[in-house]
Amino acid sequence: MKQSRHTRRAFNFAAVASVAVLASVAGISGLQAQQKTIKLGITLPLTGADADDAAKIKNGFQIAIDEANAKGGVAGYKIETVVFDSATATAGQYDPAQAATNTKKLVSDPAVVANLGPQMSGEGKAMTPILSEADLATITPSSTNPDITNPAMAGTFKPKGKAIYFRTVTTDAFQGPNMANFFAQNLKVKSVYVLDDSGAYGVGIADSFQKQAEKDGIKVLGRDQLNPKEADYTTILTKIKGLKPDALYYGGVAQAGVKLAKQAYDIIPNMIKGGGDGIQGGSFLKGGGFPAVEGWYSTNAGPHLTEDPAAAAFVKTYQDKYKDVPSDYSITAYDGAEVVLDAIKRVADSGKEVNRANVRDAMQTSNLKTLQGAVSFDENGDIKDRTVSVFQYKHDAKYPDDDLTHQNPYIGVAPQS
Amino acid sequence: MTETQLQPSETAAPPAMGRETSFIPAIWNRATGIAGRRGFLIAFLVIGALLPLIDRNEGDIDAGANALAYAILALGLNIVVGFAGLLDLGYAAFFAIGAYAYGIFSSYQVQPEWWGFWEPFQWLGLVQHMTSPDGPGTVHFTVSFWLMLPISALIAAFFGVLFGAPTLRLKGDYLAIVTLGFGEIVPIVARNVPYLTNGAAGLNGVASPTLFGYSFGVQSLPFYYLGLALAGLLILISLRLKNSRIGRAWLAIREDEIAAEAMGVNRVKLKLLAFGIGAGFAGTTGTFYVAKLQTAAPEMFMFPVSVMLIVMIVLGGMGSVAGVVLGALILQLLQSVILQDMTQWVHAFGELTGIEFFKQLDLVQSIELIFGIILVVMMRFRRQGLVPERAAVTALTHAQQTAVPTRGAVAGGLAPLHRRPIDANKPLLEIRGLSKSFGGIKAVRDFSLDVMPGSIVGIIGPNGSGKTTFFNLITGLTKPDGGKVLLAGEDVTGLLPHVIVERGIARTFQNLRLFANMTLLENVLVGTHTRTTTGAIGAVLRPPRVRREEGAANERVLETLRIFGNRLMPRVQHLARTLSYANRRRLEIARALVSEPVLILLDEPTAGMNPTETLELTDQIQHLKDRGVTVLMIEHKLAVVNQIADKVVVLDHGEKIAEGTPKEVHSNKEVLRAYLGRSTDAVAEAAAAS
Amino acid sequence: MESWEILLQQVINGVSLGAMYALLALGFTMVYGIIELINFAHFNIFMVGSFIAMWVMQLMGFTGQSHVLYGLPLTAMLVFVLCVTMVATGVLGALIERFGLRALRGVSGTAPMITTIGLSYILFNVILLGAGADTKNYSNPMPNIRWEFGDAVLHLRELILWGVSLVLMLALHYFVRRTKMGKAMQATAQDQEAARMVGVDVDRVVIITFFIGSALAGAAGVIFGLYYNYTNFGIGYTAGLRAFTAAVLGGIGNIPGAMLGGVLIGLIESLGGQYLAVRWTDVIIFSILVLVLVFRPTGLLGRAAPTKS
Repeated sequence: MKQSRHTRRAFNFAAVASVAVLASVAGISGLQAQQKTIKLGITLPLTGADADDAAKIKNGFQIAIDEANAKGGVAGYKIETVVFDSATATAGQYDPAQAATNTKKLVSDPAVVANLGPQMSGEGKAMTPILSEADLATITPSSTNPDITNPAMAGTFKPKGKAIYFRTVTTDAFQGPNMANFFAQNLKVKSVYVLDDSGAYGVGIADSFQKQAEKDGIKVLGRDQLNPKEADYTTILTKIKGLKPDALYYGGVAQAGVKLAKQAYDIIPNMIKGGGDGIQGGSFLKGGGFPAVEGWYSTNAGPHLTEDPAAAAFVKTYQDKYKDVPSDYSITAYDGAEVVLDAIKRVADSGKEVNRANVRDAMQTSNLKTLQGAVSFDENGDIKDRTVSVFQYKHDAKYPDDDLTHQNPYIGVAPQS
Repeated sequence: MTETQLQPSETAAPPAMGRETSFIPAIWNRATGIAGRRGFLIAFLVIGALLPLIDRNEGDIDAGANALAYAILALGLNIVVGFAGLLDLGYAAFFAIGAYAYGIFSSYQVQPEWWGFWEPFQWLGLVQHMTSPDGPGTVHFTVSFWLMLPISALIAAFFGVLFGAPTLRLKGDYLAIVTLGFGEIVPIVARNVPYLTNGAAGLNGVASPTLFGYSFGVQSLPFYYLGLALAGLLILISLRLKNSRIGRAWLAIREDEIAAEAMGVNRVKLKLLAFGIGAGFAGTTGTFYVAKLQTAAPEMFMFPVSVMLIVMIVLGGMGSVAGVVLGALILQLLQSVILQDMTQWVHAFGELTGIEFFKQLDLVQSIELIFGIILVVMMRFRRQGLVPERAAVTALTHAQQTAVPTRGAVAGGLAPLHRRPIDANKPLLEIRGLSKSFGGIKAVRDFSLDVMPGSIVGIIGPNGSGKTTFFNLITGLTKPDGGKVLLAGEDVTGLLPHVIVERGIARTFQNLRLFANMTLLENVLVGTHTRTTTGAIGAVLRPPRVRREEGAANERVLETLRIFGNRLMPRVQHLARTLSYANRRRLEIARALVSEPVLILLDEPTAGMNPTETLELTDQIQHLKDRGVTVLMIEHKLAVVNQIADKVVVLDHGEKIAEGTPKEVHSNKEVLRAYLGRSTDAVAEAAAAS
Repeated sequence: MESWEILLQQVINGVSLGAMYALLALGFTMVYGIIELINFAHFNIFMVGSFIAMWVMQLMGFTGQSHVLYGLPLTAMLVFVLCVTMVATGVLGALIERFGLRALRGVSGTAPMITTIGLSYILFNVILLGAGADTKNYSNPMPNIRWEFGDAVLHLRELILWGVSLVLMLALHYFVRRTKMGKAMQATAQDQEAARMVGVDVDRVVIITFFIGSALAGAAGVIFGLYYNYTNFGIGYTAGLRAFTAAVLGGIGNIPGAMLGGVLIGLIESLGGQYLAVRWTDVIIFSILVLVLVFRPTGLLGRAAPTKS
């Protein structure tokens, strides 16, 4: 983990001291390594508000890498990781400037051939231009903001033109709208009130939900914004109660979501309530608890996997190793790492040099069977599978209250537009 | 008139190094004096330029560029907090404004519809016409980065003045809260005006700077050197401002804003100037930062950023330019390098000892805790910061300390202290029916007085009779309820204090209001504020005219200090708070004199002096007459008044109860009753007989 | 829901919001009134108080909605938790004064306020690092009793909130106006030197002021947790700014003013949210803060503006 970076920094100081030392260290390390190594970057906000979810993603990556190394590596290469934390204390969460700095460090290490991450789209936006310049591809299991892979914004995000930001989840361009379809078709909702939590993700997904809802014939009675740091949402909930919509849609993460759920349980207990993948996760369940979260719908920007028999082995490995239940994004993370490892293998097998450009090209042409099914990417780097899964929180007394799998059962796939 | 011979060695400014100063303090003094300031800048630029050649890691260079950006922000905040003493807790707002300004003017975010108005801008290369098949097309802003650097500074400065204006009359704590409020409002607005800022998602597609066709792109090195150059420039500007008329005025405001105003400093203008210039620094940095990051989001500019800048300044030394830069670099280094390495060591230690806690500990997360600890510890134990803004002073030599005090003379035959022609036949000061009440208390009642030019008028009366209030009414510190004050025929009633100084009335304070943490020289130089004109631009550029003016002002100050012989001269570089009580009184008088007043108001000038000192000062005051200065003097020592006053006015409970020569007033029954409170006929007769 | 019911509900909401802000503002405004110090740390002492109460209740065996109490046991438990928390935070406040602020008493300029910002940061980060960033679910021993007026609802917990705020405000007001220590505090507020000269132990007065102020902050923390059923390291920040505005609006230094200011801010928040939009609440509140400070710094009920220059 961080030892690799320490080694690298020590390596740098030696180079400054003398060229001879540089040569000998390089020579020695070259001689020493019977096995060649390849490095993969891991960039996640490992501290701060998203730390828990980031850890589950990192663990997913790690399982894939450990499995590969246990089998002797990939095409004879041992896989090492270089881990960067993109959160700063000042931001309290991911910090785009820190993500950019980390990426620069990453690209300046010639041994790094691909990156795993980021978690949040805000990081991705800062990272992608740098990655594109360096031709270093990355694969994200959870970043859903559509702008980064939007061809209309290619000039901003991928100046060199080639897709560089691959995803094993689909984007909010589908997550929001598909949920609107679900509301309209499956739940027969006729009117809705939309809230967001003022964050980049929340505003984006609420916007895309709202647009599709209108197209689906759902009347949007109003749209407002919550302050995630505020404690009291009774004002807006009372206002919503007065308007009497069939449903409430919340675009945002658990920080505001938890409080909203608790207070909504009191004020509008019988209204249909739903959100995106921001409330699909342990923090919402743990912070809100039952009965507050009972009945809330949530989505995931990918197929549901943790109960899939194919994924059972993974879930067991995860639980044994980390004493915790994985999230769906742990699986998309695992799959993402698998895609990268597979790409490396294909490059090595074809006799080409295992470098960034070739690995990127190989990733582009992936067609791999993973836990979530067949994974392949379109020309922008987005996953071709546009499945959005819907879940609902339902208390099951037989299982512990924070067991996500059993307290948040899978409902089905949200209808595509 | 006593001796006028001045021994040069006793009155000249002290040599840079006293004979008995030891080596290290002498080096330190050199290092932190003028040579030191230039030296710092040069060392900073040289070391900064060499660093990327030593450590070529792109990530480290990037971190270095970020650190330089924060150093510039800290410099800007230093102007507001360190120089002018205005605690701004919402400084990040200007950072945001600069960032979004460049973002808006160089990306595709804002695209107004095209019409003829935009043609000249297109010709200038500031905008591009995005044609569209159906319609007039839209405007795409393409303002150059280099042009935006100063423009963002101006935009931010505008907002600095806008946000600063409401705070002008607030005291320190409230000012901080209001600035905090503005600092909160700006990100909220940014989030809620998506047309301009793309809301919470953040602005993207900001253009990279290009220099002679070479685009900076995502490389860190060009940004690093640009940042270094900007930092060097702004360090130079900070240093020049600090050691100028403007900087002294700011320091005076910071020390005691009422006294500063009373010495001629236009508080409002200078505070707004501080806000504006400080905000301008942040605006430029915002443009730099967003060009480097190529994205701007509201979360980047919130309260924790403002606090971090305060911590940098507190750590480095408020008011000290080198200190603030050092503080910024240390904290950035702490965040990006030191804590991470320390975490490694702690982890290794944990592995070694097997203690789980150490294996898990992540020091990087604790940076904010460290910020809090820095603030508390520094404020408690070392308020001046790591690099104090003041150099230590050279101690006086033994010879200087034991020298016999001499007095200079207020030599006759020299030019009058003021430059205005005065009609000797008309009253210089006319007061008509002046009155002031504080709640139910009538402090001054219907007071009228004429003061002829060149006279010395004594104001006496029991305590609480309204004497100081009377002075405050004349000098504008208090607004009268009624009445008029005319100076040489001009109505100066109720004008702001600094305007009164400019018209020619100067004063000292009963309770001494010196600028304690400024040197003697600087204290008195503040007195010249109304007679000098160098503004901020002149201070920075330092053309010959400005240098001449500084030289002349310095000369004037030294000349005035020489009036007091060798009492003050050897101590010109010492801080005012180190002076003895009598010397402080003298300093206040000197400070009042340099503003070239036609009328000087002395409020108990000899209070606290022993008889010898009193006699000496009395003599010096008398000779102010010879320099054409009229004196209005509040005194309790009747002997002084008797000796030099041409006219004496007696106040009791806000009313004038007597006016006349000292002898007339001495035996006035009303006066005696007021002072002694008993039936006075017998006393009056006895007095009349004396 | 009829429009009168909506209005009534929002008024209830607003008064509840206001009572919370008032409770939080009480200790703060009292400390300011006596030593003219804006104590940023107050709002994080409030946060620490809510954590302390949570741990106390967890130790006593209440987690989530595990137990629900009524009547006397409920009152006894509330009183117990309040007392323990108030003493703990009171002591914390006294320690802060003694070791962090006493040395800076009388120092003019920005130093004391900067110190309180630093102390505030320290408290905030100690809890963040120690207890984690996630939101904690609070124990909820109160029964879910409610009264309905048409579609508008009033809950037991709201009554308890109003009740506790009012009682504490009256107690504090009585204490400052009628008791000997209270008079000593008023004297110190007027003129520290003069107070010293008539025999008031100013050091003791100041430390007791901090103790009481912080105890009140702790009480606010307890009530917050019980009312909203959650706590986390960040609750001090937003609530703090609103409470600060309430104190300033009512007249900083004025104890009934804190109540008045709180209720006004609460009503502005709820009615503004209902008839405009919730997203503008922050801007409205900050604007009020700025306007009051600039145009009427004494607030609605305040005394003459402080004399510190």
